[in-house]
Amino acid sequence: MSAEIKAHPGMEKPPTTSVGVLGWLHQNLFSSLLNSVLTLISAGILYLLGRGLVKWALTEARWGVITSNIKVLAWGRYPNEEAWRLGISLLIILAMGLLTWALRRGSLTQNARRALLTVWVLSPVAIVILIHGITLPTIATITNNLGYYIYRPELMPLLGEAWRASAALLVLAFVAGLTCGSVSKRTERLLSLAPLLALFLFTLPLGLLANGSLFGFDLPRLLPQTFALLVGFFSGMTVGRALTSIAAIRWLRIGSWVAVLPGLLILLTTFDVGVESVAPVEVLQIIEPNIWSGMMLTILLAVVSIVASFPIGVLLALGRRSSLPVVKGFSVLFIEVVRGVPLITILFMAQVMLPLFLPLELTVDRVIRAMVGMTLFTAAYLAEIVRGGLQAVRNEQVEAARALGLSEMLVTGLIVLPQALRAVIPPIMGQFVSIFKDTTLVTIVGLLDLLAVGQSVIKQREFLGAVREVYLFAGVFYFVISYAMSVASRRLERQLGVTEES
Amino acid sequence: MSEPIIICRDVHKWFGNFHAVRGIDMQVEKGEVVVIFGPSGSGKSTFIRTINRLEEHQRGQIIVDGIELTHDVRNIAAIRSEIGMVFQQFNLFPHLSVLSNVTMAPIWVRKWPKQKAEEVAMEILTRVGIPEQAEKYPGQLSGGQQQRVAIARALAMQPKIMLFDEPTSALDPEMIKEVLDVMTELARSGMTMLVVTHEMGFARAVANRMYFFDEGLVVESGTPDDIFKNPQEDRTKLFLSQILSH
Ligand SMILES: Nc1ncnc2c1ncn2[C@@H]1O[C@H](COP(=O)(O)OP(=O)(O)OP(=O)(O)O)[C@@H](O)[C@H]1O
Ligand SMILES: [Mg+2]
Repeated sequence: MSAEIKAHPGMEKPPTTSVGVLGWLHQNLFSSLLNSVLTLISAGILYLLGRGLVKWALTEARWGVITSNIKVLAWGRYPNEEAWRLGISLLIILAMGLLTWALRRGSLTQNARRALLTVWVLSPVAIVILIHGITLPTIATITNNLGYYIYRPELMPLLGEAWRASAALLVLAFVAGLTCGSVSKRTERLLSLAPLLALFLFTLPLGLLANGSLFGFDLPRLLPQTFALLVGFFSGMTVGRALTSIAAIRWLRIGSWVAVLPGLLILLTTFDVGVESVAPVEVLQIIEPNIWSGMMLTILLAVVSIVASFPIGVLLALGRRSSLPVVKGFSVLFIEVVRGVPLITILFMAQVMLPLFLPLELTVDRVIRAMVGMTLFTAAYLAEIVRGGLQAVRNEQVEAARALGLSEMLVTGLIVLPQALRAVIPPIMGQFVSIFKDTTLVTIVGLLDLLAVGQSVIKQREFLGAVREVYLFAGVFYFVISYAMSVASRRLERQLGVTEES
Repeated sequence: MSEPIIICRDVHKWFGNFHAVRGIDMQVEKGEVVVIFGPSGSGKSTFIRTINRLEEHQRGQIIVDGIELTHDVRNIAAIRSEIGMVFQQFNLFPHLSVLSNVTMAPIWVRKWPKQKAEEVAMEILTRVGIPEQAEKYPGQLSGGQQQRVAIARALAMQPKIMLFDEPTSALDPEMIKEVLDVMTELARSGMTMLVVTHEMGFARAVANRMYFFDEGLVVESGTPDDIFKNPQEDRTKLFLSQILSH
């Protein structure tokens, strides 16, 4: 951070201390007799250890196993002709990283900051669409499929698509609830309820016909839709109420309305009714997560669990300190249970048990299940780390903020959390590095991450026995990324460091 | 005379079984400067903190600017935004620049646009004499400068009342004066102030009335003249002789 200290006119510059290579060597390696001896001994040991490795790497190693399989190692079964989509995704991730890296507080105007934030929020969506592919309905699909909700609702359950109505109601009800909770004008509230009512009436025929199911139990008709409507509305309203005091709520509201309407249209119409002329069009070929593999899977697993676990972990940490017994109880239970179970068990449970919690029609991919498992696992550990940070914030800070008239929400968001998170950057990053390395465990539940792909490469006939090459390659890959993460962590700490002294 | 801006009637506060404040009555008029002093542990901090509800009083009545302090969250928020408070340990937010410390509450509570908040903040920082420190962080300032930022931070909300809890007792002697000067100027400008302090020079020069606290009670109160020249109670005389002697 650049808190420039203005120089007085007469102020002298501090003397510059510059040492050349020789100076550095002298200072650090040969400053005394003992130091020189230690330096020489270490150099000798390094030479003895390294000699064999270097010789092997330069002369004996069959690096062909890597070069001729590089695509397989990188993206496994992902189609080669679609791999450009991965490249672009990687570029987006790198660009976001660089942008954020370059970001210094105060050096950005408000608008630039807003733009950056928007891109930050949008880029994961873009990446998901890029990697997964997207199907968009044509006008014919839209009119035809919307018709199913009214004229042929009895076919919907057969199509296995009835969940779409509940999901659509859930989302729309959330946005309507958010609006009702955060605006005071009655007309605006009524206005926000209108689309919800319309959607409910629209999907009513389906609700009357279709049986839903939850946890494997059949549910009476209309129940899933009503349930989704109520849950969505009241959770939206709670969030809206809680956020009324925040200036950004207006943008959040407008943004969610803008996003939800086309989203609903896609959700309600992108199923394939089996008639060719009205089938939705694959704009970007869908590539099922089941096929994702190699380095690409490793990176995706890590990025998704890191990005998704952070907010969940922070909420759990706050929940654990909440004065509401239900919230507190849930947080404690979740954190303790998850932390009491090894990751590998959670990965197995995610594969086997997750489907029990979801409607029958909705099958979740194995890769997604692993992502959910890893996210929840990381979130529980993050929650404990963040809790430590929260405890480190002195109560006087809270009192000073309250005395200024800040609401409890603002006290937490503006004073407590920023200080708490700053204090625990190193352990948080440590947790991220560790979950990155733990992605290797997904091999055990049958996913093909870099290591698994590597093992299959070793079995190729022409490279039989090239075990060292492949493992060394994988090791370097994990090391380079882990090391980059810890460098980033240290840099982040230093950037925010000025504040620590007080 | 109009309605007093602070009315306290029989205010009590217990910590567990410990009776820290044992029935305080006090009325403060608009524009008055009231100094509270007394030995350590006599409940001065606890009492002054009940006025913006950092401590909850358990008996009696506190009415600030016509609003009674009850459990109603809206009343508490309304009252807190009308009262500025300055703490012994400054309690600046270390992760924010001086300017952000001062603009935070106006932006988030008063909903001022950032630009207006910054303009007002710079005016106030100029008033407390440290406009050139706006971009620094609290950890880079001296104690006296930090306390002046804390005063600026409270003033930025344009409060009707300012509470000070021993604002100079964590400061080195050479910095005490710079803070007292700011407080004196503030008093002259007509701010209603409730000050816990042992700076008797400041009290003599600025206070309208003084209260001597001991063991959670008001032992004696009156104008500075009354208190310094003609104290009635033995405990007051003893305490004054102790703090004035060194
Ligand atoms: N949070 C608390 N829990 C328990 N006891 C407390 C608490 N805060 C204060 N007390 C006790 O209440 C009494 C009054 O404390 P208070 O801080 O109001 O005194 P004070 O007059 O401000 O003293 P000082 O001059 O030392 O600041 C003290 O005996 C103190 O130990
Ligand atoms: Mg005190």
